[in-house]
Amino acid sequence: MSGAHDKPDVEALLAASAAGQRATMRGAIAAAVVAALMAVGLLGLSGWFLAGAGLAGLAGGAAVLAFNYLVPSAFIRLSAVLRTGGRYFERLLSHQAALRTLAGVRVELMARLAAVDPRSARGLSGAESTSRLTGDVDALEDQFVRWPAAPAAAAAVLLALLLTAAASLWALLAIEAILLALPRAVSALARRWVDAPAADAQRLLGALKAEMGDMLAAGPEIAVYGLVTQASDRLQQTARQMDEARRAAAAATAAITGLLTISGPLMAGFVLVLGQGPAPLQAGAALAVLAAAEVMGGPLRARLEESRTAQGLRQLEALAAEGWEAPQGQLPDGLLALEIGALRLSAGETLALTGRSGAGKTRILESFAGLRRDAPQRLFVGGCDAGTTAFSALSGQFALAPQDPVLIAGTVEDNLRLARAGLSEAALWQALEVACLADEVRALPDGLQCWLGDGGARLSGGQRKRLALARALLAGRPWLLLDEPSEGLDSATEALLAERLAGWLQASGAGALIASHRPAMVAICARTLCLQAE
Amino acid sequence: MSQQRTPGYGIDAAALGWVADVLGAALVAAGLALGVGAVAGLQGPPLALAFALLLAGGVARAGAQYLATNAGMRAAMVRKAAARARHWRPLLEAPPAGRLTGVALASAIDTVEMLEGHAARFAPLRRAAVIAPLLAAALVLFASPVSAAILIFTLPPFAAGLALAGTAAKAAADRQLGAIGHLNGLFVDRLRAMPEIRHFGAEGRVLSQMADAGDLVTTRTLATLKVAFLSGGIIEFFAAIAVALVAIYAGFNLLGILPFPVPEQLGLVAAFFALAMAPEFYLPMRRLAAAYHDKQLGEAAEAVLAEAAVSSPLPAPAAYSGVAATALVVRHPDGPAIGPATFRLGETGLLAITGPTGSGKSTLLAALAGRLPPEAGALDWAGGGGPAVAWAGQRPLILAGSLASNIALAAAGATEADIEAAARAACLDHLLAERGLGAAIDWAGSGLSGGERRRIGVARALLSGRALLLLDEPTADLDEETAARLRAALLQAARTRALVVATHDRALAAMADSRVELS
Repeated sequence: MSGAHDKPDVEALLAASAAGQRATMRGAIAAAVVAALMAVGLLGLSGWFLAGAGLAGLAGGAAVLAFNYLVPSAFIRLSAVLRTGGRYFERLLSHQAALRTLAGVRVELMARLAAVDPRSARGLSGAESTSRLTGDVDALEDQFVRWPAAPAAAAAVLLALLLTAAASLWALLAIEAILLALPRAVSALARRWVDAPAADAQRLLGALKAEMGDMLAAGPEIAVYGLVTQASDRLQQTARQMDEARRAAAAATAAITGLLTISGPLMAGFVLVLGQGPAPLQAGAALAVLAAAEVMGGPLRARLEESRTAQGLRQLEALAAEGWEAPQGQLPDGLLALEIGALRLSAGETLALTGRSGAGKTRILESFAGLRRDAPQRLFVGGCDAGTTAFSALSGQFALAPQDPVLIAGTVEDNLRLARAGLSEAALWQALEVACLADEVRALPDGLQCWLGDGGARLSGGQRKRLALARALLAGRPWLLLDEPSEGLDSATEALLAERLAGWLQASGAGALIASHRPAMVAICARTLCLQAE
Repeated sequence: MSQQRTPGYGIDAAALGWVADVLGAALVAAGLALGVGAVAGLQGPPLALAFALLLAGGVARAGAQYLATNAGMRAAMVRKAAARARHWRPLLEAPPAGRLTGVALASAIDTVEMLEGHAARFAPLRRAAVIAPLLAAALVLFASPVSAAILIFTLPPFAAGLALAGTAAKAAADRQLGAIGHLNGLFVDRLRAMPEIRHFGAEGRVLSQMADAGDLVTTRTLATLKVAFLSGGIIEFFAAIAVALVAIYAGFNLLGILPFPVPEQLGLVAAFFALAMAPEFYLPMRRLAAAYHDKQLGEAAEAVLAEAAVSSPLPAPAAYSGVAATALVVRHPDGPAIGPATFRLGETGLLAITGPTGSGKSTLLAALAGRLPPEAGALDWAGGGGPAVAWAGQRPLILAGSLASNIALAAAGATEADIEAAARAACLDHLLAERGLGAAIDWAGSGLSGGERRRIGVARALLSGRALLLLDEPTADLDEETAARLRAALLQAARTRALVVATHDRALAAMADSRVELS
């Protein structure tokens, strides 16, 4: 386990992932700068050309002949073409850099999530994590796509200021004051009006998904008891709150963007009113300022989206920080003995856990597996407290077949191969034989390749359990943890399972803890621990 | 382009806002033209008026854009609420089995969200894009008819280019959307199974699979964007060309050196007005192109929502007064045929469905609950139709709240005494003694053992007051003593109601009044 002390930093992660896309991003910035300069140049030059032509036309004769119209008109056409190409490549390259960067970030975050200790993250639902991994990472995508907008706007503003300076120094001062005040005003107003509703909307979306996940998992009962209206109303209520927050954020964004919309004509007006230079220069500068104000909209709008990206970033930080107090204890090498309270088990021994429902059988098994730490007894592995031992160390010792196994969406084979890399097909069949599932898998449409759907939806509860058992056998760990392995089986199958499992334990030399109410299962264990409820 | 169903007044208000924006632009253009005229020393109104026009135009545009945005969001709220109402009910009534739950979750929530941009931005902008350019051209017409004609004549080649690029983009976008949905489903599934995956040390292999899947989606997305941005590029090109053509025409007209005769002699102010309005001609289309992504998402969402099952309303439940099955065969979608089963159950009594694992006991229960139609044979209800039933499944519904609220989910008016009696009947004494009826239960039901959850489901069924109770393995996960007490409680309940249990529990099956053996 590495990195226990350096706090995870999503921004550093983003930066590292973005480093690989630096050349692409540079290309995007160059294209954006060209597009912005050409947008300002096109209007500025057009204004200068038109005003100059107008004055020459009025003067007539020699002035018309002296007026050079070929170079400006050619440049006007050229800037139209360059602006188009610049925009196209800016968008394409910035999206390419963003998508490639974030694909890497997403997997890296998933890896961090995979490193979270299950004992510390029980509250984090799959839907919530996924919404963060997809929605929040997408919000960051916008940030990357908008990256070239800032240098482009700076270039556009610089060109417009240059033209303005030629027209009038007073106008330059007035425009600079507006340009300096504008980003600050946008930032302050966004903090006041946009950030809170945008954060609310994001939070409510996560809540909505968690609620919906609940409801879908509880499906049949909702229908049977006629709770559909109640359930749907509860969801609609959350959804309405989210919509209202989104509307509030959008309306506030539009109101702030209005400042920008007003500032363009205002600055053009200042150029004309305060200008002293020749008329064509003033006309060109006024139009250039108008165009520059439009280009400036890009980065300022990015600031307005910032609350969305900042919220996403915060949630991703929280996601990456999950489980940073995970226990780090390691285990000694070799075959290890177990202790459950006062009871001691040597490597290879078998123990039946019995006792009433709720007495803690499952808690003992899952605590050894590192999934929880609320077993009523103190548990030791090779003399180390299981509660403070690293999850990965515990995983190396135990193979769990839980009471309510989780299967991945995939084939029978995908699920079995989770157990260990490099398993032969013969080994898979052998484990299925022991688990008394081989015949049923052969009968499936595609055998081992049969697609099981979500959570093994195609299998019955008993079949899922035995598939999980086969998977645990394949893991080849020193200890098996089996939670009610024969629950849901008819007695003939149960007897067969007990016989084969006993044979397998004998042959492999692995130890086992088997929680069961069933005499047939208890019988294959050498020892029995009857738990009393506290 | 398909006609949208739920326009509402909001879209019209939003479209109107975007059209009004052109009028604001005309004020700005007029201010600019008059200002340049004044600076050039021509006869005309004073510079102060030009400045006032510029400012008024800016304020008008800001106001119009604000109103359009807000009205669009309101329209989107109406549209999304309607889509949710239509889509969520069938989903809750019959949650999809055998599909990725992540995909179902994505289509239930994210798909509806995808409608927002379409309703809030794209739809009003599309309406505005028909009227606003013509309005801009009409305003230019006053100043320079030839400039207006130039703007109009750039339209046909523009439209042709756009149509060509748009068709290709649509095909690519549809492919990409399916890929994203699948990727999200995979993420949900693997995260859910992450403790198991790590338990077996398989996270490295699973992560590299996810990385490959992510790369594939990125590559497809980029291919889509290449085409999608092309239509944006075409609009940009024509917008720039329109400005350039008007500027060059007006300049040559002012110089009087046009190589062909035109019916107008432009003044500086009129020429400048035409030039300043030229970008406005294509601005509505550029805005529309910026909302192109909203259009794609919205239309893809429409398709997904239209395809999703719209539930036919369930028939009203009949009163229960007995049921008889004759050679009944039922089948889960792409599952094996279950049955044939023949049985009869009166108004009271206990019917046990037994049989080896995988023989379809749960499926038969689902058929009794009216969730699967008979494939062959007959299921005859004495009351004429399927009754309202109580259901205690293998994974009972646990909602955030208290133990009491969870038990009383199906019995809104139950008193605390009723709830406690049901809890005791379902052998939840231990939980009652330890944590009480008011024990807080979180949405995941963590802190409850498998047996406790199961018995909450049984208690809920007992309390529901339904005449027919369907219980799936009610005594599983229980120790012998508790199981014996629960069996006695079920037998007691069967004196006043009809119970059907699917079970492996031989003792429970032995107590039953009748049995169905599945093979």
